[in-house]
Amino acid sequence: MASYNRITAEVAAQLRAAVGEGRFFLNEEVDPNYSHDEMPIYGKYMPDAAVDVESTEEVSAIMKICAANRIPVTCRGAGTGLVGGCVPLAGGLVLCTKRMNRILEYDMDNLVVRLQPGVLLKDLAADAQKHGLMYPPDPGEKTATVGGNISTNAGGMRAVKYGVTRDYVLALTVVLADGRIVELGKSVCKTSSGYSLLHLMIGSEGTLGIITEMTLKLIPSPQYDVSCLVPFRTVEACIKAVPKIKLAKLDPQSIEFMDADIVTSSAAFTGNPIFPERVKNEDVGASILVTFTGYDEEELDQKMIRLGEIAKEADALDVLVVSTAATKKSAWAARSGFLTAIEAETKLIDEMDVVVPVDRIPVFLIYIRMLGEENGIRIRNFGHAGDGNLHIYCCSNDLEEDDFKRRVKIIMDKAYTKCAELEGQVSGEHSIGHAKMQYLRESVGEDVFELMRQIKSVFDPDCILNPGKVCDLSLSGRPA
Amino acid sequence: MLNILVCVKQIPDIDLVRMDPETGNLVREGVPTLTNPLDLNALEAAVRVKERYGGHITLITMGPPMAESTLRECLAVGGDEAVLISGRPFGGADTLSTSYSIVKAAEMLGNFDLIFCGKESMDGATGQMASQLAERFNASQISCCSKIEEISGGKIRALRTLEKGTELVEADLPCLLTVEKDNFFGRLPNLEAYLASKKAEIRVLTENTIDGLEMEKIGVPGSGTIVPEIYAPKLPEPGQIIKTGSVKTDVGRLMSLLVEKGSV
Repeated sequence: MASYNRITAEVAAQLRAAVGEGRFFLNEEVDPNYSHDEMPIYGKYMPDAAVDVESTEEVSAIMKICAANRIPVTCRGAGTGLVGGCVPLAGGLVLCTKRMNRILEYDMDNLVVRLQPGVLLKDLAADAQKHGLMYPPDPGEKTATVGGNISTNAGGMRAVKYGVTRDYVLALTVVLADGRIVELGKSVCKTSSGYSLLHLMIGSEGTLGIITEMTLKLIPSPQYDVSCLVPFRTVEACIKAVPKIKLAKLDPQSIEFMDADIVTSSAAFTGNPIFPERVKNEDVGASILVTFTGYDEEELDQKMIRLGEIAKEADALDVLVVSTAATKKSAWAARSGFLTAIEAETKLIDEMDVVVPVDRIPVFLIYIRMLGEENGIRIRNFGHAGDGNLHIYCCSNDLEEDDFKRRVKIIMDKAYTKCAELEGQVSGEHSIGHAKMQYLRESVGEDVFELMRQIKSVFDPDCILNPGKVCDLSLSGRPA
Repeated sequence: MLNILVCVKQIPDIDLVRMDPETGNLVREGVPTLTNPLDLNALEAAVRVKERYGGHITLITMGPPMAESTLRECLAVGGDEAVLISGRPFGGADTLSTSYSIVKAAEMLGNFDLIFCGKESMDGATGQMASQLAERFNASQISCCSKIEEISGGKIRALRTLEKGTELVEADLPCLLTVEKDNFFGRLPNLEAYLASKKAEIRVLTENTIDGLEMEKIGVPGSGTIVPEIYAPKLPEPGQIIKTGSVKTDVGRLMSLLVEKGSV
């Protein structure tokens, strides 16, 4: 079990001196929000100190001090994670990158952008748009930092067509646990140059190094986009249509799934009933929202016509078109607000973010509903039907917290076992943090888990970077 | 079968329109247009009437040729035919001359039992058109309609939302209605209607083709109002939130700012 030192007055003075005035906070000066992310059910852990960094050099100086004094360091962006990834389990120092929020440079010849990790996803999207460019990864949480997205290899709605965050990271500047600064990757389209430490760093949740600068790939912004909402009577019919759409060479940007319950919750919360609960006098059981993008309006019309034919064969109730600026705004506001809507109507909440082969989504959803009913837990779900990534929320307004946790554990244990049976993965895009470590271990098996631990020890032998996360057992015995 | 007229307007996206501080003119270049959202609520009310009682919905708008896209959007969600009043002499019209032009064009299209309008446009926001049109059509008017209860025997019964309650009213047809947006959230078009709307014929009426149009009553000459100047209100300096996470630091920063501004 790792042992750490507390931040003494002397170390505090060194840390304070490493950054400018007003950016080091000790004990009660620390923002209490640094004790949790957006899933507080996994516990709150206050750090002893926090620092708002502004440059790679500052991060390096801080890591040197922490390495020399064996102080644990947990890197934090906007704190929008859902698995306790940025929560300082071992106390120590929270290193916050929010102030590193500058977009440094566009290279219009190579379509790349260089930026700091604290830039928010929505700000990058808007800024790239001004240059006629698009950053394709599109996770639902737009106020997350791009650094956080890279640390979790966030996916998002456009993954069906464009892939995930990993596919757009060309290079990173990283500060290692001992304060050394390394450059991983280059601004090139392909590489066959040794182990890819770049891709090891992506998705490593701040356990291998601190990302301080990123070079990302952009694409020319598509001129046209249109979405089709396809409502079905049942979840099964809805999901069965997805492979048919994918096989039809329509190249959709996203295929989003929503069941009737989440649509009702969202409409009640937002006052925005853009997704109909009844179509042609029939109740909608589930819908998919299919989005096409391109550079030719006629081409998109042809894709919609083909989608209409597939929908008819799949016994869809109708195909509704989201084409105007106003309906697009409404539809995506409603879709992006699903989690907020669930949070607003729920006192106790826990989540899973599994990814299964697309054709097995209905089997998994039916199983989860059954588990929810058996254990007296309300289930809400939505997700990315196009890539099999499901966001499943266990909710309760009536249970005591301990009873809720006990019941949810039963559900989670069985659900992750089922996920493994279906050849799925523990997390599609929310990552492991400390909340899902046990399930990762069971999923990948002891050999692979041990390899992960050995990699961690190469990068961080004293285990000061984000202890207790992903595969790190150094805090075993501590509450997690 | 009810003959229904729905009046719609294309407006610039008001979130994106800026004012030139030098000239006081609205800068509309490059600003996307949209259909006045409240008109879409009116259209939804009309479509529900058509679905319940049967009917034919004529859409009408006045504007430049590009206003055609608004008509197509409305055709896709339930309109049956669309008419665009367009021509340079109509430019610069206020509500008085616009309502005149619309009624003169509508007279050529038949007698309407029901006329639906948005409560106001999001750009001009005068809220005058509905009452002017009701007067010119010699129609009764129900404003703030939250529900249409019954249409029969040449009469309409509807609920109106008031500040402190709801009122049930009855009016003779023809009747003009404006509706409450929350009760008439617009629907999405289905694919077939959307594709059909792209190819639909839009009838264009000009100053030369509207019967009996008196030129002195349209456009700027027909307007009863003069706008001598447009200016943007001066906004107070936006406030700032100081929240570093440390009360001590926050208070320090606040004091420095107050000293800087000479307040203490």
